[in-house]
Amino acid sequence: MSTEGPDLVCEVDNVQGIVDALTAVRWKRQQDAVVELSEHGMVLIVEESSCLQAKVYLQRELFIKYEYGGAQGRPRFGVSLGLLVNCLNTFSVPAGGRSSSTIEIRYPGPDMQLLLNLYLFANSIIQIEIRCYIVFYILRSVDSLDACIYAEIRTRIPETISWDYNFEPAGTTPLSFTVKSAALKEAIDDLEWPGSSVQIILQPDPPSVTFKGEGHGDLQIDFMYYVNTDLLIAFSCDRQVSYRYKYKFLQATTSNIPSSVIRDNRGSKLTIGRGGMLKVQHLVSVARPSIPHPHVDSAGYQQPSRIAYIEFFVKPEEDESTIND
Amino acid sequence: MKFKAFLTENGVNLLEKRFLPALDKMGKVCHLYLTRDHTMFLHNLLNGDGIQSVAQFRKEALFDDYRISSQNEDRIAFAIDISLLQRAVRSSVSICTEFGSGPTHNRLQIKLVKKLPPNCTQPMPFLTFETKGYKSAVIQDVPISKPFSRAQVIELQTALDMAQDLPQTLVQVPDLNQLQNFVDRLKHVGDLLNVSISKYGDLLVQISTTLITVGAEFQKLLVIGEQADAPAEDRNLSAQTRSARAILRGDAQSVQVSVKHFAKSLQCHLAKPDCAFYGIAPQGACLTVIFQFFIPGSRQTDKSISLHCRLPVLDPGSS
Repeated sequence: MSTEGPDLVCEVDNVQGIVDALTAVRWKRQQDAVVELSEHGMVLIVEESSCLQAKVYLQRELFIKYEYGGAQGRPRFGVSLGLLVNCLNTFSVPAGGRSSSTIEIRYPGPDMQLLLNLYLFANSIIQIEIRCYIVFYILRSVDSLDACIYAEIRTRIPETISWDYNFEPAGTTPLSFTVKSAALKEAIDDLEWPGSSVQIILQPDPPSVTFKGEGHGDLQIDFMYYVNTDLLIAFSCDRQVSYRYKYKFLQATTSNIPSSVIRDNRGSKLTIGRGGMLKVQHLVSVARPSIPHPHVDSAGYQQPSRIAYIEFFVKPEEDESTIND
Repeated sequence: MKFKAFLTENGVNLLEKRFLPALDKMGKVCHLYLTRDHTMFLHNLLNGDGIQSVAQFRKEALFDDYRISSQNEDRIAFAIDISLLQRAVRSSVSICTEFGSGPTHNRLQIKLVKKLPPNCTQPMPFLTFETKGYKSAVIQDVPISKPFSRAQVIELQTALDMAQDLPQTLVQVPDLNQLQNFVDRLKHVGDLLNVSISKYGDLLVQISTTLITVGAEFQKLLVIGEQADAPAEDRNLSAQTRSARAILRGDAQSVQVSVKHFAKSLQCHLAKPDCAFYGIAPQGACLTVIFQFFIPGSRQTDKSISLHCRLPVLDPGSS
């Protein structure tokens, strides 16, 4: 039993938003994630075959309470992403449609666990234990009922991240573009048909982005900057670049994009860094649940936008048929 | 062996809108067991492993002019496909409302018949629905199994008698929908559900795997049967600890059931019961859920309708 306080105690009032954000990086059933805690918030990292890495940033602003105990170094633990998402999902059950729920997250618990507590009103408990030795306790009260939901998820000692995803700019002018998330997803979904690899070409004149799939057939999707500024919202490129990415990795970046992102008509930013490393950024709203809380929000009060940032890093394919510099 | 009766308007409503949708979730095929006074829909009473459900109606709850006779103390049983039965009742209702000035005038007769279907040499048994519309009559034949032999009926009756044991302690679940919502999500976490019920009125449902424990606890529920006051010293302990202590004290029982079975039992809310009670049968033989129906507009139990399920226990647990 540790004598000091927990490294982290925080509360979330939008479980669904967190579930959405975490689901966005869930591209297969079994995925091991590493969670890193700091005074700025929580970062969840998943990766695959040293070619694809995704990070979900849950900054402290997303929490209605965030007390970081100032541990030396950043505490990290490994957890099964699928289990964490499924478990959090059980906490997003509407409580008879009356109220939203609030999860309390604690780390570590008495046995070095990470604890998640989810409160609705008074005295209900959801508890998640993550052994080895981290536990989530989620406490949740269900209306005036004496009811609680609890969960404990076991964690692992995290493996070291096998590949350093230091993303460096490719030059003085960033090579980037911002496209409507829905359009990006649609384009990448369409590219499934040609097959295994997709070439992304950025060129300054005319300013455009091209996705080109070659395999069972050819498919080329062009986003012209001046033709449709609604679709391609921003564009920055001073020279033509072209890199190939494995389709399955590219697909992972949009396959589970939350429906709220599409609904909110958000954009995704894609940046090509040194060596062709592709960074894909999405924004997921973790806003307070839409049910108004008369006792919390006075009229005219605008809640600051609460956004979870999601980043994917995709390594280009080795075989260089690429035109670069 | 003869069976003939008229479904009442109330009976049609009960079956079409409430019980058949709920029973359909229990399993595709059930046994329809008719006696002089009762009609019963029985699931899995004869084959051991599934969730057992017993829906029982006094004949007046469903029928008018109920006539039954058989050489086996006027008892008839056969297997029937619930979805086919549901379809027949549903279309009969639509015929009634389409043609008549009111369903009461268009009586819906149901009877047991033997017919020679096309391309068959052997006559086959059917449950026939005869709906009299304004100027027409529509007949629907729902195929059924060969009616049970005397020995089979006795076997079914014995199984039914065995399925009537009451748990010593029953707790009332406050919100079936909410519990169902929770359990539906739990299904993604694991397969085995631990259910503990205490005399203090606590209901704990929990999934435990090597990686995760997720559970929900409901406290201070209405208790029927044996009850006790929760010890004050337990008040600030965690749900799991309190449950474990109550089991040690002999004030609670715990069993392990399939999450799928538990979710199915919650589907019974489609029958629109007024209350639901969970309890663990003596020696942890099964987890029982009993649904209570009130006489419309009152808080009095409607004794003409009963529904209960028995969930097989996968592990005797700590009983």
